[in-house]
Amino acid sequence: MQPRNVHPGQSFDGRRWMGVGRADCADGRQAAAEATRAACNDREPKLLLVFSAITHDPETVVAGLQEAAPGVPAVGCTTHGELGPGGPTDGTVTVAALGGPGFSVAFAVEEHASGRQRESGAAVARCLDQVEPLAHRVLLLLTDGMIRDQESILRGVYGVAGAAVPLFGGACADGWRMTGGYLIADGRVLTDAVVGVALSSEAPLSVAVRHGWHKVGDPMIVTDSGDGRVYMLDDAPALDTYLDRLDAPPEAYTQADALVEFALSRPLGVQRRSGVEARNMSTEIDLEGRSIGGGGAIDIGGLIWAMEGDEASILRATDAACDEALARLGGENPVGLLTFSCAALRAVLGDQGIRREGAHIEQRAGHTPFAGFYTYGEIARVRGIDGFHNQTLAVLALG
Amino acid sequence: MASAGESPEIQQLLELLAVVASFDDEDAAVHAAAERAAQAMEAEVAAVVLDGEVAAAVGFPDGAVPRADLLSVARRERDWIEVPGLDKCRALVASWTGVRPGTLVIARWGDEPYTVEERHLVRGMARLLELSLTMLRALHTEQRLRRRADEQAVENARLLEELRGQQHLLVQLSLIQRAISRREPLEQILGTVTAAARDLIGDEIVGLWIADPQEPGRARLRASVGLDANDLPSMPLDEAGAAGAAMRRGELVVIYGEHDAPARVRDSADTRLYAAMAAPVHQDGRVVGGLLVASCRPGRRYAGREQDTLYSFAQNVSLALTDAHTFERMNRAAHDTLTGLAGRGLFMDELTAELGRAGCAALLFIDLDRVKPVNDTLGHPAGDELLRQAADRIGALIRPDDLAGRVGGDEFAVLLRDVTDQRMATDIAARIVRELARPMRVLGHPVQIGASVGVATAAADAPRLMDAPAAQDLLRRADIAMYQAKRNGRGRFEIYSPEMADGFTKVRLHG
Repeated sequence: MQPRNVHPGQSFDGRRWMGVGRADCADGRQAAAEATRAACNDREPKLLLVFSAITHDPETVVAGLQEAAPGVPAVGCTTHGELGPGGPTDGTVTVAALGGPGFSVAFAVEEHASGRQRESGAAVARCLDQVEPLAHRVLLLLTDGMIRDQESILRGVYGVAGAAVPLFGGACADGWRMTGGYLIADGRVLTDAVVGVALSSEAPLSVAVRHGWHKVGDPMIVTDSGDGRVYMLDDAPALDTYLDRLDAPPEAYTQADALVEFALSRPLGVQRRSGVEARNMSTEIDLEGRSIGGGGAIDIGGLIWAMEGDEASILRATDAACDEALARLGGENPVGLLTFSCAALRAVLGDQGIRREGAHIEQRAGHTPFAGFYTYGEIARVRGIDGFHNQTLAVLALG
Repeated sequence: MASAGESPEIQQLLELLAVVASFDDEDAAVHAAAERAAQAMEAEVAAVVLDGEVAAAVGFPDGAVPRADLLSVARRERDWIEVPGLDKCRALVASWTGVRPGTLVIARWGDEPYTVEERHLVRGMARLLELSLTMLRALHTEQRLRRRADEQAVENARLLEELRGQQHLLVQLSLIQRAISRREPLEQILGTVTAAARDLIGDEIVGLWIADPQEPGRARLRASVGLDANDLPSMPLDEAGAAGAAMRRGELVVIYGEHDAPARVRDSADTRLYAAMAAPVHQDGRVVGGLLVASCRPGRRYAGREQDTLYSFAQNVSLALTDAHTFERMNRAAHDTLTGLAGRGLFMDELTAELGRAGCAALLFIDLDRVKPVNDTLGHPAGDELLRQAADRIGALIRPDDLAGRVGGDEFAVLLRDVTDQRMATDIAARIVRELARPMRVLGHPVQIGASVGVATAAADAPRLMDAPAAQDLLRRADIAMYQAKRNGRGRFEIYSPEMADGFTKVRLHG
């Protein structure tokens, strides 16, 4: 379906707009300022969302944002690649600006989130009280990608926000260096933090999330697990059981890089009522203990599958996520899209593949501006109480 | 495995079990179970009702849990619940009865009805939750009971220990009390006390200091354990360690920290003490000494109970001293201060005791002659000196077991014990007469006196002179015999015979 707008990125009644600007200068401040000005296009924004390559010093990026749009709330993070019109990039500052009387925005920051994930989630969710009670709401969340057990952050959020507020967001990345990314909020550069932006709108807001992985072979029973790790599958060391199931090459059993490369494109699948969830297991390698990481808790007695995918299945998921998000706007024309994809997908897609992913998104979006980044984990909750995903594309459509 | 894949319900139940089993706090377990149940059912809302109260609820904004509505659903009054922002959500409910009845409530947004498998699953989860909670509660109760039993056992052991200690103390104290009431020699009693203090308190060193009666501010070590204290001279109180301090302050004193022992420690080259405590000792209400225990062990600390024990012991020493002092005073009053011989009271007591014991004693009644002229010409000091010398001469002539006493102004009596032959008595009488006739030198002046001696023997079957106790009777007979000696010219002795009594017109009653 090709959405049509009189003015791309602006609602028909002119009360809501979104713009995207991108700049790839070497100087972070300059790039941020330029991208902001391009996104705003002489309009007064209510919110800036910034996705910056890790190669830019985040402090300079903050300075650039403040220079171009002083006093405007700016929230963002570092990436493993930025998404936007023109295709995915690895060195830009990409800014999405939202504005108009039809939007209301409030934000909250919670630092020192590690060890108090649930509390932090509950704390940032309180910014929902501060937006105007317009017809539709969503809570945007950005987290530090290094924080473990992010599902608990979302449980904390859910406990305050409740079932009526969809959640959308992602965990910041650092160009695959794995040393730590940064969050930007309130004019500061943060780590070990959770940033929440409550957004209410006169028009619908919808969230969709899809992945392109399929189960391989029979499921394996978790016979021993704890603290986010799976130790035994089918009463045998988990790592070996998983590798055996996939006929992995011998070096994957003993060498860390070989294992990471192999596992990146073969996530774990956890059965849920409406399908299988993909869990990235390539981080936190444990060659000695032969355990595998599953992101959120995988309980003893649960069933998990080895999963595989390819570019075709992933791109089908890309299309499906965009279509679903747009369809859920209930006929409203979209003002803009936020598209958060998983950094781990780049391993399967490769540089060529991600360009094709970008092209698919652009095609689905039509003339609607979109912006996003490759994350270390996607946040999307519409139904149920779960919301943390790996290896997916999460889309927020703003009507 | 394929069948397991087809029934995710089993998997969900197992996962719920794993989650609930990982908590040992009931509230946390219930909350985790609610979340897990919501996740398993992909429901937005889950709640657990226990004992008619909402124990956990997931899916409602903070502070906006519709408790009444949830309870209504749990009671099956309706099968939907309103979730803010989502209108009505279909609810699914499963309950359990028993000790703590409860209900699991699930509510999911959407039009799809719940499948049969989902209903089974929710029922299964409810049952599982009930079992887990029951187990948790039983575990907590058992832990609580075990803790209480352990505490009780510790308390019992402590009480038993205390009782044993008390019993030990009582036994020791009763031994000391018995020694005191039996009038055992004072030094022996003090030795028993110091040994018992060592036994009960356990320190290597015990010492009893008594104030020097002649020199205030000084004290002497009268009894000790663990110290080389033979012939230790008296020392100033400051040098008597904790004992000296206790005596100065009149209260229990404890000293911690290295300090010198006040005497050489026996069987050790060490003279350093690490802890000492002392309690004051009283006699007739005044502080007269200090009872000390001390340890050569670094880190020794005295518990309240040990301090109380020392205090009890010090009180017993006080009792013993006060008693001995009284005894001493009685003794001193019983002796004639001038001559040092037994006074009349004491002499009569001894005589009574001797007659009661053996029955064959002899009594010599000695009256000095020509004492009055000495008093008149040389004065009373001379008279006193004369009496002293006479007493000395008499004392020198009798056997150690015999008793000499001054029973009147110029009158002396001698009790000869175990006299089987009258001649023994008369030999001594003759010698006394001779000795007292020898010249004396009194205050530089030559003096000559004499003595008249009456001899009477006691026999069980001898007829009594008068209706009086045997001792009185014997003394009177000796008295009569003495008088006879005076009538016969003085400076001689006479043996009592019944005929003498008849010749008396005047009976001098002694008594």
